[in-house]
Amino acid sequence: MLVDAFLELLNLWVLVAALVGIVSGIIIGAIPGLGPTMAIALLIPVTFSMQPIPAIILLLGVYQGAIFGGSISAVLLNVPGTPSSAATAIDGFAMARRGEGGRALRFALYASVVGNIFSCLVLMALAEPLARFALDFGPAEMAMLMLFALLVIVLFGGGSKLDALIMVLVGACAGIVGLDPISGTPRFTFGSFAFENGFQLIPVLIGLFAMSEVLLQAFDRETLVGDVEVPPLKSFVVRFVELWRMRMTLFLSSLIGTFVGILPGIGSTVPAFMSYSLARSRSADPDAFGRGAPEGVAAPEAANNAVTGGALVPTLALGIPGDAVTAVILGAFMLHGLAPGPFLFRDHGLEVYAIFEALLLSSIPTVILGLLFFRVAIHVTRIQPRHLLPAITILAIFGAFSVNNSLFDVWVMLGAGVLGFLLRRANFPLPPLLIGLILGAPFEQSLRQALLTSGGGYGIFVGSPITIGLVALTVLSLAISLFFSLRKPRL
Amino acid sequence: MSTNGHGGGVARPGFRMLTAGLLLAAAAWGLYSLDSQIQVFGFGASGPDARSFPRLALWLLAAVVALRLVLSLRSDDVPLGNPVRLGRVLAVTASSAAALWAMPQVGFFFGAAGAGIVVALMLGERRPLLLVLPLIVAAVVTLGGRHGLNIPLP
Repeated sequence: MLVDAFLELLNLWVLVAALVGIVSGIIIGAIPGLGPTMAIALLIPVTFSMQPIPAIILLLGVYQGAIFGGSISAVLLNVPGTPSSAATAIDGFAMARRGEGGRALRFALYASVVGNIFSCLVLMALAEPLARFALDFGPAEMAMLMLFALLVIVLFGGGSKLDALIMVLVGACAGIVGLDPISGTPRFTFGSFAFENGFQLIPVLIGLFAMSEVLLQAFDRETLVGDVEVPPLKSFVVRFVELWRMRMTLFLSSLIGTFVGILPGIGSTVPAFMSYSLARSRSADPDAFGRGAPEGVAAPEAANNAVTGGALVPTLALGIPGDAVTAVILGAFMLHGLAPGPFLFRDHGLEVYAIFEALLLSSIPTVILGLLFFRVAIHVTRIQPRHLLPAITILAIFGAFSVNNSLFDVWVMLGAGVLGFLLRRANFPLPPLLIGLILGAPFEQSLRQALLTSGGGYGIFVGSPITIGLVALTVLSLAISLFFSLRKPRL
Repeated sequence: MSTNGHGGGVARPGFRMLTAGLLLAAAAWGLYSLDSQIQVFGFGASGPDARSFPRLALWLLAAVVALRLVLSLRSDDVPLGNPVRLGRVLAVTASSAAALWAMPQVGFFFGAAGAGIVVALMLGERRPLLLVLPLIVAAVVTLGGRHGLNIPLP
């Protein structure tokens, strides 16, 4: 299988897709405010006419490039493109201020690659066994698994649990619109055929992440970044021995990123800061952290990049996205006929392993292109939002339309944009909404199928060792969360 | 950037209260119209029907949003800010909506370009020459979409 999958990659279009994806990602990611989620969501329509393997490789290349691009604006401008880059900015910007911006970016790049390779290997080792195990799941097991995933998002996603719960429920309620999954009855369709397919994931994603950004920037015009001085960038070489000295930091950070990534909904901010704190506590000179310590750049970057490999494990094996980025990637897989879940490896094993290998091998062009393009990307950081955001608006309209060639989807995108603007201004988290939208309908379907099977008896949810295990995990998660809430000092 | 509600007083309404209020209204409307929006034909099957999950989800949403609203009364909120800033958001939304509404008649190029120009103006672009940029992007996207990706744009 691995050899056959590798042979699938020996195609010029695959190479072109990977290179175009990485370069586009570096450039888009370098623009403050544009994260990998938005970059992938906007570029999905470009892949419609492509074969599944090059299409997904292009999007994963965009992701890898955008994460590195995001560290460019974090290090040089102290403007983290994503919340997880905030940890990189602490020491990266301090290094940049003393003229070591180039060195900080090289550390970020190499650490990203280490994190990516580590998490890819874990993904390759864990995803298929997990999917094979999940083949034995019936509706009751799937319902309990999804309930556990939704609960983890609410309890451990960071921030207010109440806000996360509200967002999960908003997503689940949005997922109700359309035809009932069991009886086919229209629900909240207002008698319109357009509503019967429900809200499509890609237009909602484009609205929540791209259109809402346009509205936010229109609101915050006074505080736009644009004329910030970029510190002088001298060329500093990072020697292999310097990376070797921080091998344990890189390993532990990759480990944290990967395994936190596997838990749904936590995202990359928590592991980035966890790795930063761990690197600081293990350092012989902890006082150097915050004042430009290379390990302070490498640790969060390794963790940051390791998250997606980890988050892809439940996304691909179970169809449960780990964070916003993997939710977008899940959407891309579905659009190309590779429906994530237990049957993915059985039905499309060759394609999936080809994508895994490409993700692993793309570390090589990421390093080469990262080194070649970061000087170009520095100029990109100076692009004024008033020149960029009109283009994003046009691409958002185009992207939403092209999913089903329907203007209805563009209206959905605009509505999601307005909702996203309000929620982001009000500091409600968007990833739980997205995951609630993705999991809401299948959760209801599994729940009702299980109850139909049992004749309405709830005993089916504790009727097998798997469901008992999942109920135990759910109760344990609640207990852990309660324990930490009670221990937290109240101000 | 927060409206402080500490010190015994009630916080001034901000973005959090506005958003929570809208969500509560939407959940309440959903519950009110549930029976008319979801027809159920019973065939004697036991267990939940097409209304059960929506009813549960909407009740839960209404309850937790109501709790958020009550808690928001005595906690920090994000201020709504200068009405001009909200006006810019409304202008971008309205122009995009108008572009979508007009798109079947005027076509994708003019609709998208119009929305792009309004966004540029709302973001402070004042040089007429640079207002050509959205036109160029819209032209490239229209040509690329129609001829490169074979998408039947309006």
